[in-house]
Amino acid sequence: MGLFDYIARWRTNSRIRSLESQIQQRPAPVLYLQLADAHREAGNAQKAAQVLKLGVVRFPSAPEIIRRQAEAEKSERQNEKKRLIEKIQTHPNPILYARLAELYKADGQVSETVGTCQRGIKAFPKYGGTYLVLGQIYVEKKQWQEAGGQLEKSVELDKYNYLALKLLAQVYMELQRTADAIKQLEAILYFAPGDEAILELLKKAREAAGQPAEQKAAAEALKGSTAAPRTEIHARTTVGRGGEQREAALRKTNIQRIAETAHRDKALSDGLANIRAVASVTGALLVDQYGLVVAASLSESLDEALAGALITNIYRAASGNAAKITAGQFEEGLVEGDSGNIHIVQIEEMILAIFAGPGVRMGLLEKSIRDFAGTLLQRR
Amino acid sequence: MREILAKLNKTAGVRGSMVVNRDGIVVASDLAVEADEKSIGAVASSILAALESALKRINMGKFSRFIITGSEGKVAVVETGQALLIVLLSRDVNMGMVNVEIKEAASAVAERARM
Repeated sequence: MGLFDYIARWRTNSRIRSLESQIQQRPAPVLYLQLADAHREAGNAQKAAQVLKLGVVRFPSAPEIIRRQAEAEKSERQNEKKRLIEKIQTHPNPILYARLAELYKADGQVSETVGTCQRGIKAFPKYGGTYLVLGQIYVEKKQWQEAGGQLEKSVELDKYNYLALKLLAQVYMELQRTADAIKQLEAILYFAPGDEAILELLKKAREAAGQPAEQKAAAEALKGSTAAPRTEIHARTTVGRGGEQREAALRKTNIQRIAETAHRDKALSDGLANIRAVASVTGALLVDQYGLVVAASLSESLDEALAGALITNIYRAASGNAAKITAGQFEEGLVEGDSGNIHIVQIEEMILAIFAGPGVRMGLLEKSIRDFAGTLLQRR
Repeated sequence: MREILAKLNKTAGVRGSMVVNRDGIVVASDLAVEADEKSIGAVASSILAALESALKRINMGKFSRFIITGSEGKVAVVETGQALLIVLLSRDVNMGMVNVEIKEAASAVAERARM
């Protein structure tokens, strides 16, 4: 590096530090724009896009930030599509198809979205995320029957998928199947009690079904009580295609579990097993951006789909609100209970959750997480 | 409450703190950064529901604390019985150093809330 380059970089870095400090003290739209420019000047387009995203959260009605963020996102999507197409050709996995389809969907490329989903489903029929994206496309086109079919398949594969259950409930409402809509919404409240959006939908569904008395239970759950036993027991026994099936699913044998997870990436499963080998760690779980479990190493007593749903629910609540509580973009979270902890780490678009006893040694755990992140990023 | 928060805020790396009830309503606050207090309270309350549900179903006992690390800073949401103590922290704060102060403040908040 020449002297001129060195000085230029030093100036840019000083400017970044100064702007970050000003934003901490007194945030303003123009500061976010300047900070994004400084990061771009420093050759860090990803960081620039991240800053614009935070700026939009902080100042949702500032037109210049909104415009610049939309431009940055579009450019990011183009690069990501190119990368995913290449990766599908060399190292295909189901998440790549779903992710690519979602990017096409974001750019309004409907036929490419549908085509990518169909290819993904053909190659990996046991992955629920692709059915979900296809269902979303049919919802946008108001093709309710087709949407319902895809979303039912997604829910069948992943019984605790928040997005699929919520969208399926909305589709059932459109199809005048209010009783079915109520079942899906109650299923969500089992792992996301107090979710205001779901409670609102449930209220509307019950009104449409002529069940005003049930609103009391919804109001109980709105208080954030995890002890809404009536709703919970009802949800536990009525989700999906019937209570018996759900209970049976919860009593899966090991053989069934192995068969269902056979398509999973062995390197990721091995990576999670390594994390679990750290003293006091009781389990580890990797969830994708659709809330679907990609890999898991958990004790048999813990239903991995339910654990995935609970983790996704925490992640959704924390990451969606991190900027509002001055933390910026969510990176990691540590939940401490009186008999154990849950570590939640975002690695690119995945969520890694580690369950540990209170005595876990953080240094060892952090090293194993770094090793796992390296494996994950290689396979991304 | 203000005195407890003011004392906590003197700790290196603490950018502000507040106490909210379990419905997210602000009881007291002392923030050194520009932030929407009501919004922070509401967010903490909504996250609490997700946390309590997860801990209960994964058999990890009662919720005691949640620490979020983000690109701009850390936020600790601490159970104090009838209320939540929320502490806004610098991203590079030494948690070992600040943990003791947070625990003391949480105990003091719990004590005050009982009075």
